[in-house]
Amino acid sequence: MEVIFLLIGISLVLAGGFLGLFFKAMKSGQYDDNYTPSIRILFEQKVNKKEKKTNYKKSK
Amino acid sequence: MSGTILEQFSYDNKIVKYFGVATIAWGIAGMLIGVIAATQLFLPEANMGNPYTTYGRIRPLHTNAVIFAFVGNAIFAGVYYSMPRLLKAPMWNKALSWFHFWGWQLIILSAVITLPLGLTSSKEYAELEWPIDIAIAVVWVAFGANMIGTLIKRREKHMYVAIWFYLASFVTVAVLHIFNSLALPVSLFKSYSAYAGVQDALVQWWYGHNAVAFFLTTPFLGLMYYFLPKAANRPVYSYKLSIVHFWSLIFLYIWAGPHHLLYTALPEWAQVLGVAFSVMLIAPSWGGMVNGLLTLRGAWDKVRVDPVLKFMVVAVTAYGMATFEGPLLSLKNVNAIAHYTDWIVAHVHIGALGWNGFLTFSMLYWLWPKMWKTNIYSVKLANTHFWLGTLGILFYALPMYVAALTQSLMWKEFGEGGRLAYPNFLETVIELVPMYMLRAFGGLLYLSGVFLMVYNMIKTAAQGTFQEEEADEAPALAKHVSSKGEFWHRKWERKPVFFTVLATVAIVIGGVVEIVPTILVKSNVPTISSVKPYTPLELQGRDLYISNGCVGCHSQMIRPFRHETERYGEYSKAGEYVYDRPFLWGSKRTGPDLHRVGGKYPDSWHYQHMVDPRTMSPGSLMPPYPWMTTTIMNHDDIAAKIRVMQKLGVPYPEGYDQVAKEDLQKQAQEIVANLKTSGVEVLPDTEIVALIAYLQRLGTDIKNTAVDNR
Amino acid sequence: MEKANQLIDQKIETTCFHCGECCVEQTLHHDGKVFCCNGCQLVYDVLEENDLCDYYEIAPNPGNNQKKSSERKNRFDYLADPEVTSKLLDFQDPEESHVTFYIPLIHCASCIWLLENLHQLDQAITSSRVNFLQKKVQIKFKNKSLDLKGLVTLLAKIGYEPAINLSDVDKRKILSTDRKLIYKLAVAGFCFGNMMFFSLPEYFSEAELLGEGFRKLFNYLNVLLALPVFFYSATDYYRSAWLAIKSKAVNMDVPIALGIITLFSYSMFEIFVSGQEGYLDSMGGLLFFLLLGKLYQKKTYETLSFSRDYTSYFPIAVTKMVRDREEVIPLTKLQVGEIIKVRNEELIPADSVLLEGQARIDYSFVTGEEVPVPKTKGELIFAGGRQKGQPITLVVQKPPSQGYLTDLWNNTAFVKADKETSLASLADQISGKFTFTVLFIAFAALVYWSFQDFSMGIKAFTAVLIITCPCALAMSTPFTLGNTLRIFGQSKFYLKNAHVVEKMAKVDTVVFDKTGTLTAPSQAHITFRGGSLSTETTSILKGMVQHSVHPLSYRINGWLGNIPVAFLEGVEEVPGKGIKAIYKSQLFLLGSASFTGAKIKGDAQIPGNQVFFSVEGILMGYFQIESGLRKGMDQVVCQLINGRQVHLLSGDNDLEREQFEDLLGPEVTLKFNQSPQDKLDYIQRLKAHGGNVLMVGDGLNDAGALKVSQVGIAVTENISHFSPSSDAILDAEKLYQLPQYLRFSQTSRKIIQASFALSFTYNAIGIFFAVQGLVSPVLCAILMPLSSISVVLFTTLGTNYFAYKKGLKEKIC
Repeated sequence: MEVIFLLIGISLVLAGGFLGLFFKAMKSGQYDDNYTPSIRILFEQKVNKKEKKTNYKKSK
Repeated sequence: MSGTILEQFSYDNKIVKYFGVATIAWGIAGMLIGVIAATQLFLPEANMGNPYTTYGRIRPLHTNAVIFAFVGNAIFAGVYYSMPRLLKAPMWNKALSWFHFWGWQLIILSAVITLPLGLTSSKEYAELEWPIDIAIAVVWVAFGANMIGTLIKRREKHMYVAIWFYLASFVTVAVLHIFNSLALPVSLFKSYSAYAGVQDALVQWWYGHNAVAFFLTTPFLGLMYYFLPKAANRPVYSYKLSIVHFWSLIFLYIWAGPHHLLYTALPEWAQVLGVAFSVMLIAPSWGGMVNGLLTLRGAWDKVRVDPVLKFMVVAVTAYGMATFEGPLLSLKNVNAIAHYTDWIVAHVHIGALGWNGFLTFSMLYWLWPKMWKTNIYSVKLANTHFWLGTLGILFYALPMYVAALTQSLMWKEFGEGGRLAYPNFLETVIELVPMYMLRAFGGLLYLSGVFLMVYNMIKTAAQGTFQEEEADEAPALAKHVSSKGEFWHRKWERKPVFFTVLATVAIVIGGVVEIVPTILVKSNVPTISSVKPYTPLELQGRDLYISNGCVGCHSQMIRPFRHETERYGEYSKAGEYVYDRPFLWGSKRTGPDLHRVGGKYPDSWHYQHMVDPRTMSPGSLMPPYPWMTTTIMNHDDIAAKIRVMQKLGVPYPEGYDQVAKEDLQKQAQEIVANLKTSGVEVLPDTEIVALIAYLQRLGTDIKNTAVDNR
Repeated sequence: MEKANQLIDQKIETTCFHCGECCVEQTLHHDGKVFCCNGCQLVYDVLEENDLCDYYEIAPNPGNNQKKSSERKNRFDYLADPEVTSKLLDFQDPEESHVTFYIPLIHCASCIWLLENLHQLDQAITSSRVNFLQKKVQIKFKNKSLDLKGLVTLLAKIGYEPAINLSDVDKRKILSTDRKLIYKLAVAGFCFGNMMFFSLPEYFSEAELLGEGFRKLFNYLNVLLALPVFFYSATDYYRSAWLAIKSKAVNMDVPIALGIITLFSYSMFEIFVSGQEGYLDSMGGLLFFLLLGKLYQKKTYETLSFSRDYTSYFPIAVTKMVRDREEVIPLTKLQVGEIIKVRNEELIPADSVLLEGQARIDYSFVTGEEVPVPKTKGELIFAGGRQKGQPITLVVQKPPSQGYLTDLWNNTAFVKADKETSLASLADQISGKFTFTVLFIAFAALVYWSFQDFSMGIKAFTAVLIITCPCALAMSTPFTLGNTLRIFGQSKFYLKNAHVVEKMAKVDTVVFDKTGTLTAPSQAHITFRGGSLSTETTSILKGMVQHSVHPLSYRINGWLGNIPVAFLEGVEEVPGKGIKAIYKSQLFLLGSASFTGAKIKGDAQIPGNQVFFSVEGILMGYFQIESGLRKGMDQVVCQLINGRQVHLLSGDNDLEREQFEDLLGPEVTLKFNQSPQDKLDYIQRLKAHGGNVLMVGDGLNDAGALKVSQVGIAVTENISHFSPSSDAILDAEKLYQLPQYLRFSQTSRKIIQASFALSFTYNAIGIFFAVQGLVSPVLCAILMPLSSISVVLFTTLGTNYFAYKKGLKEKIC
């Protein structure tokens, strides 16, 4: 059953790693806003308006 | 400051299209094989009289094709579409994307070739031999690198929950795959597992469970959290919940493996753990399901008309069912009934057909019109597909449940005089034949639905114009850091190498921490003095047993129940497997358990039975293996095999590899002679001889010898 | 008439493409779209030019109505002031500046989209992030090519003018404490999960199956995992317990800390000395549940900021007159004696004397009464009033920070002592007794056993301390009150903190401020004196009042109801006087007596307000408008009366005394002509007579009273609007539920007591085993989470069930 040790080791390291990730995420403010991102993903990127955009830039 | 100007970039749709097409192509292949295998279960002729298309070999092909080819490609299609858009950055490295694509397809292709050839490690969902395993690792890492690279180059600060699911899947699957595939190669396409018997079983199911968790579930949850809101054009019901969902799932899943081995020779406490954590898993899983379904609250009118949403609703519901059934099955008393029966088959197919299949379909139905800038060709057809698929699932699952209950009840039924009511295993099989037919029909329905989708998608593509690159623009992430925490986060992100190094260091430390005790602590697997290594011929026979996938239908693990000991003999002890590399406990009993078959029948019986099972046991569903009597086996590799076994600690005497071949031939001659007495002429180096040698050895070591715990 | 009707129908159909409101005054056709005002059209043009019109696709008519938006060009000048800028910016370096604006107008997905695409309007903007729930946007921009003023002007141009007021200038603090708590929770949860993983086998399977080697390893792993829990997650409890002990008090955290320490040390002993498995998993679980409760508590209290004072209401800048030149300066720089200009809808920033102009001051924020009060030259005007009509110029008498009202505010006499300590909460009251009882039992057990077997004595002693860890006890209060808070919140009643609930339960005296609290503009009681109005006349009146922003016009408009609107030619509002309109070449006047040329016969002391109506100089009659009670207030008062005294304070004259006496009945004490200070004193007198006073008020003039009362509830028409600092904020429509709230606060108190009883039973059971030294890790591991979870369930279900029964909640769950 020695292999159990291996499995526990891996699982612990993995889980620990994820815990670390969780901390990093919290620290970096990933979870400060728990609503807006869910709306943000619904916005489609704007295509087919390119040329309009560019000449607007020139005008500036 | 690079951050200040608006940056123009574009998303690569081509790769998504390719992965999408691959998904469908392999999906059809995998399901087709599935239907064939299902047919073989009531129509042995469907095995087509050659080893390559025989059930034992195409079953793993089916599972591999569906899991890694169909679902795998679907994941990649979804990730390559959603990730760049979520992070406002194209995939980090196009070349890598294409390497990933072609690499993966090649791996699948090699599986399609090697598995029918019988080149298999016989570990469920990890059957592929070591060179392919390495290839998988490489390609998988390429995928991961591409994701992390994109993460670093991203223009959107927030990592949407889907991204977390993707990354977790990548990391975990990588680790699982590597540790489960550890093996010592004998030749290019033959290797022996690094673990033996119970340990091998434990590792395998720790992997097996988590493979399901992190290949079939977490990536798809990520996809759900992206495509469901997109398709419904409304934010997910509770984003907070989705975050909680992710983290709790991650922390629980890792542990839940051992429940696959209840009532086996696995130490009880390990089993208990499996159960406990599996049960705990209900909470997060259902959290996810509820979150998915509630996203559509107030949009049911949309669902009624939009096939994409329809598919998603059923998919999420199926996820809920499967994740409820799983823990249920992990309860010991339920498991006592369900294990080795078709219930498990039904369970996994609810997941595969419902959750993975339907979510994939919905995703493709949504993606195709988007990428071809058009509307779906025919909503009607899509709806038809939906109904065909749903019916297919029902026709598949329900008969399987019935079959499972019927069989397990028949197995454990005792007649008058305390004898088994159905002592002949065959009786319990014949009962199931109609169910198997229905199941095949269900599969056929499901498959036919997919064909409709193919037509629909081709037409959709035809009426639209494919947009290879989709332009977008966004300001780069500002370099300024608002908090110290952020700074560290960035640092960690900006230095992927640094991070990977850290990770590996961590893994190594973890490894060492765990290996040291293994030296200090003695194994608590009771060793049994009378258990001896396999003889060379038996070893060859065993490898034959492996390469023909006999384990797909025959377990080698007698659980400590009266009806099993009554039927098969003394229940299995952990100590009996110490030389089994890999373990062959099996997970399904379409045929009887073979752990104690040794000496049960004469050699000639086995000979006849292999030539045509139905001569010995009329009505048997087992495919015939007539070629075994004529196919000559090349025994030259036995020396190498013995050496590898010795490396792995199997106590063959020093230099035994030199004499192994003679021993082998000696034993072969005995069997040939024995067969002659019952009027069977066969060459000593045919496959059948080796197989018989192995079968006759099975479980004989401790027949009427007691276990001694040192 | 026909013609008019057609026009009406036409108008009804046309809704503004930008803001989606019905176009009444004007209907601009532009670019194939319809707009209700120039403002809306201008915004559209800006977006159109920059091809940001997806804005209109994401959500239908997402815009905010621009009618009221001021066109004054120089109104952001003060933002050029370096002092102000530096205060407003979150971050600044030579390259880039970061600023966070509060934009109340954020309301839909389109808002988010537009505000996050600002970089398309101005290349200088690096990034902009919206936090939807907080209605805030953080903008990073290159300060070389864009300054704060420019940025705000840009935002205003697209219809998202940020709300900047004095309180933004004093820096906001970061809520890092909350995050710390989450870390602690995460650590505890993680370790707990893994410790359970390593302990379960021990409990559930025959120990011999678990090899000696495994037990050792698992124990050591448990220790490893316990360390972060003990030394990190639990720290808060040690601290708070220590503080309590130092101040000779015993709060809930003392027994908790005691329990944790015993658990840990005894487990260490078990593992390393006697080779047992110890109670570490129980400790992990304990901490996990405790912290979960704590977090829940925190989250439920994060409803509203109650620290709002006048600064969050006062403008950040004022227009100063230097000779004939206007210049906009930050309010903080306003000096006594300076001359300021206040325009329509602007706030009087400091107590000052009127120099010139038609001053009509709306004191709704001060008194709750929104009908403007006319002021004549030389009169002193208090800060906080809002000018309606023509611009006026004033001389500043006092600096903004020392105005009459702000004085009232800062009056240290009634700065409330911090409630957390002032009133010991139920939990803390008993935790003292609890701790001592536990200690007593523990020692008793020790002594008892010591006679036979000392080690046994130790075992029993520790066992008692471990098993009676007051986890459940500690959680019942936060969860019950937390739920109560949430339930109140769902019915628009926001409490400052949980203690308010406990205090509400004790209230025996209720004091109402009349205007704006008991009475509501919407409930104004209107009668038209003089002849009946023909449908045509009413439609004309409707057409007239629609145009006016004057509160009385609103009321008449409401009174007229939803009727056809006549098409009037020249409609014009004469600020502070009335409305002029031409219909079929006849002159219609609506407004004050002088304006309409009406002579009021008899005494002018008719209560309430009158609006006169004349056609071609002939007086047709007048609208009599009396402030009406809010819906259901009379019943509320009756319900409150049983067992409590009810008082009514009003700043107004007692013209309406009779009206209120027969409305509210004799039991209610009525006091009129009450100055803010009077109200304050009145409350203090009531308190002096040992009353637990609940004050319900709305205006700044109630601020003092609200502060001194045990429970001060500020009533407001709009939660996000200003309201004086108080213990609770109540949405005006829900005022009629006040009795239910009071009753429910008593219920939740009962629930707490019940859950105490529950957890005591657990402890009793535990002690029963403990004193016999029968406590096993398994028992511990089962009993502890069980007690915590069951208490949480009990309180949660209990509160929600009663809320449901009391009609404060639609459905249970």
